[in-house]
Amino acid sequence: MTQDRNHTEQAGPPAGSPNEGGEVKGAERADATPAKKRRWRLTRRGFLIGLGAAGAGLAVGAYLGRPVLHEIMAESMAEAEHAGSGFMQLPEEPPLWLDVLEDSRIRLSLTKVEMGQGVHTSIAQIAVEELGISWDDLVVEQADTSSKLVDGFGTGGSFSVATSYEPLRRAAAGMRSLLQQEAAAALKQPEAALRVEGRGFAVADSPERRADFYSLVDAVTNWDLPAEEALQLKAADEYTVVGQPVARIDIPDKVTGKAIYGYDMRVPNMLYGAVARPPTLEARLLSASAGEAEAVEGVVEIVIDVESGFAGVVADTRSAAWSAVKAMETEWDEGHLWQQEEIEALIEPAGEGGVTIQREGNAADALGKETTITATYRSPFAVQAPLEAPAALADVRDGQVTVWVSTQSQERVKGLIAETLGVEADGVRVVPTYLGGGFGSKLDTGAAVEAARLSKAAGAPVHVGWDRTEAMLHGYLRPPTKSVLSGALDGAGRIIAMEHRQGSSDVAFSFMPGFMAFVMGADFGATIGARINYDVPNRTVTAWRKRLPVWTGWWRGLGLFANTFAVESFVDELAAAAGADPLRFRIDHLPDSPAGGRMRAVLEAVAELSGWGTAPPAGRARGIACFASNTVVAQVAEVSVDVESGEITVHEVACAVDCGLVVNPDGAKAQIEGNVMWGVGSTLIEQAYVKDGRLKLNNFESYPLLTMRDAPNVRSVLVDNGIETPYGMGEPPIGPVGGAVANAFTAATGRRIRTLPMTPARVLDALAGGES
Amino acid sequence: MELHVNGKSYTLEAPAEERLLWVLRDWLGLTGTKFGCGIGICGACTVHVNGAAVRSCLMPLAAVAGADIRTIEGLAEGDGGETIALHPVQQAFIDHQVPQCGWCMSGQIMQAASFLAQNPQPSEEETARAMSGNYCRCGCYVRIRQAVQQAAAAVGGEEAAA
Repeated sequence: MTQDRNHTEQAGPPAGSPNEGGEVKGAERADATPAKKRRWRLTRRGFLIGLGAAGAGLAVGAYLGRPVLHEIMAESMAEAEHAGSGFMQLPEEPPLWLDVLEDSRIRLSLTKVEMGQGVHTSIAQIAVEELGISWDDLVVEQADTSSKLVDGFGTGGSFSVATSYEPLRRAAAGMRSLLQQEAAAALKQPEAALRVEGRGFAVADSPERRADFYSLVDAVTNWDLPAEEALQLKAADEYTVVGQPVARIDIPDKVTGKAIYGYDMRVPNMLYGAVARPPTLEARLLSASAGEAEAVEGVVEIVIDVESGFAGVVADTRSAAWSAVKAMETEWDEGHLWQQEEIEALIEPAGEGGVTIQREGNAADALGKETTITATYRSPFAVQAPLEAPAALADVRDGQVTVWVSTQSQERVKGLIAETLGVEADGVRVVPTYLGGGFGSKLDTGAAVEAARLSKAAGAPVHVGWDRTEAMLHGYLRPPTKSVLSGALDGAGRIIAMEHRQGSSDVAFSFMPGFMAFVMGADFGATIGARINYDVPNRTVTAWRKRLPVWTGWWRGLGLFANTFAVESFVDELAAAAGADPLRFRIDHLPDSPAGGRMRAVLEAVAELSGWGTAPPAGRARGIACFASNTVVAQVAEVSVDVESGEITVHEVACAVDCGLVVNPDGAKAQIEGNVMWGVGSTLIEQAYVKDGRLKLNNFESYPLLTMRDAPNVRSVLVDNGIETPYGMGEPPIGPVGGAVANAFTAATGRRIRTLPMTPARVLDALAGGES
Repeated sequence: MELHVNGKSYTLEAPAEERLLWVLRDWLGLTGTKFGCGIGICGACTVHVNGAAVRSCLMPLAAVAGADIRTIEGLAEGDGGETIALHPVQQAFIDHQVPQCGWCMSGQIMQAASFLAQNPQPSEEETARAMSGNYCRCGCYVRIRQAVQQAAAAVGGEEAAA
């Protein structure tokens, strides 16, 4: 083990200046002190009044919206026969917090992280609306774990706005009400005579008589809480901020290079770490030694713990750390060298262990009697590939643990580091930064744990930033899927029976205790989108959980993309068999229910937007697909096919979405655009596979992403069906993309591709009559 | 080694083969230039060297010693006081609310600024070709295309006026 301190002190790079934080920020100043602890008092209205907080006396926190969360979870869980209730670890501490600053601005502290979904802006809109203050008088602050705000779920699942909406409204309205009471007393006026004026209350007809928020909270120690029924929430038609395309608060710093992400974190005297990686899927570390790493200039520390499979280096530059870790001598037991054919065989939706997640009527019986159409659809492994690779800076010294990290779950990082270092979780301070993309991949954060281990060993702050190949190979992937769909039509062209047999490896179950998988039966992450929501009298959906030697897990939309591709491709196959227009066929099979009505509205909206029923431009064809969760989505893709090269071009995607109440319509449209690009990339390009015991992935040359040249134009419309609650927007629009493109391909060529991605080779094979 | 970045000069004792990206980020603290792939595919690390867009992750320090290097931090023009004038590309990216996660955006903006300096009035096809070496995983391509076209109008307008 080398410990060359002198060398370290001479070296230039780590002594650079720490990052400077802005006011509204994803990364806190490196030297910021942890917030003081607060005591909570739970009121009967479900928000919290903070006592003894730093500074002024009033602060209001809010639990995440359990009713909304439960509604959404129940829907996901409905896909498993036994809806578990223990999945959500509802925290004892609130994840949101409002307090008054000395300059009378109001501060919104929140645990939800900003990864490009615009959540800091949309949540701020909700707070400003009910506080009644102006946009500039709210300060948005990313909470770190020392703030005592706790979000046990993390940022993901398209839950953030949906779950924050009601509780934040009540907290903000409650705070406003409390301040108004105090202002009335201070100004000796009835409450009704007061209005918010700047950063305080003023008498409506003599605005020079005013009291700033801070003066009100500073003077009072006991608050007379408003009664539940006295809490006046605005009606949706009174909104002036919610529902507006407010400019995102994080964008200015993102066009000037000032925004700080986990990969960017710097503190004085920091060092850089790198960790040896297993060469195969099943590899186990047998032995490790420094080897030539000691001779690499700049190496400070070599850390080896064979028992836990850990071998890493700390150096004074990142380049030195990366070189040195490659120069270490490691010996591995490579385990079984898996091949892709073995994986394909494992994913078969048949045999023992199938869990029926939907059953109405008797599909097997009906399918036995009628002429049955059967088709098999496949999707491959895929990676999330956020452009910011996993990264964290850890400072483990003098019994203190501080970690700055790009993470979707600071609580998970906290727990993992506490466990690894053998310290109390409360002693680990995790500071979330901006995320350079998440897409599910940053719900786990190995880089943070590695940085903490190396920092502890080196006695200095250590930054670990994975390189692209590490990011490709050592996170979890989207699972491969195989869906076998069968259906039968009656003489009138209606679907009389439909069956979906779905095989996938784990999504949510990869991150849950084993007993939860046992209780729930089917992995709701793997099966989302697999249900048959059309009005079919006999329908069955059965899911097979398949265990693979590849770590699979969260990926944008979970199983939504693959399952919707299968179901919506098959619905078009049934429509073709019935000789029906695909749009008409779908509308004719919608249930007579509110959900069916919402779907009808978005289908009709997307038909109008896309010009469905009119002739497409020469050489192009259109396909339609839809998906329903709380959020309802319909899309039409317009494609052309080069029969010589086999290349599919997606020219246009039209998308209609009803996501309930829209907090920020421009942000919602941005999510639609991003989801469409993800979907097109996954439909045409993205795939990973196993060869000789490892994933055949290294950098972007083995896993190219969609570029602007291949990006379709996207037009979208947000459909208002009168829902007064916001639903998720970050993932649902990815659902129909694969089906819409596949259906458009069939419309263009008369052939069908049932295996993703639809590469030129598969296209040429399909055009030549092959069964792709 | 003498380095000129954003109008400032630095003298560094860095290895000649060290890549410009890591010197900018870790030695000079200019973290606005991002690491994406390290092999010149994704474009997140794009900076200007003597006005040309280059991939700093591939560029050895020795190759740019003495050259005029500009990063995202130096793209806006300051007047020495509080005010900075954003580059038309930066302004267009705000106007169109382009960035989502933002990680690729420094590279996108530097690429677009260099492209428009050479071709102030590009067609949409030329824009798509020039920008197709820059990945955006969030999928902001529709807005990037719109913003670059808007910036082209602004840059083209300035050139016409000058």
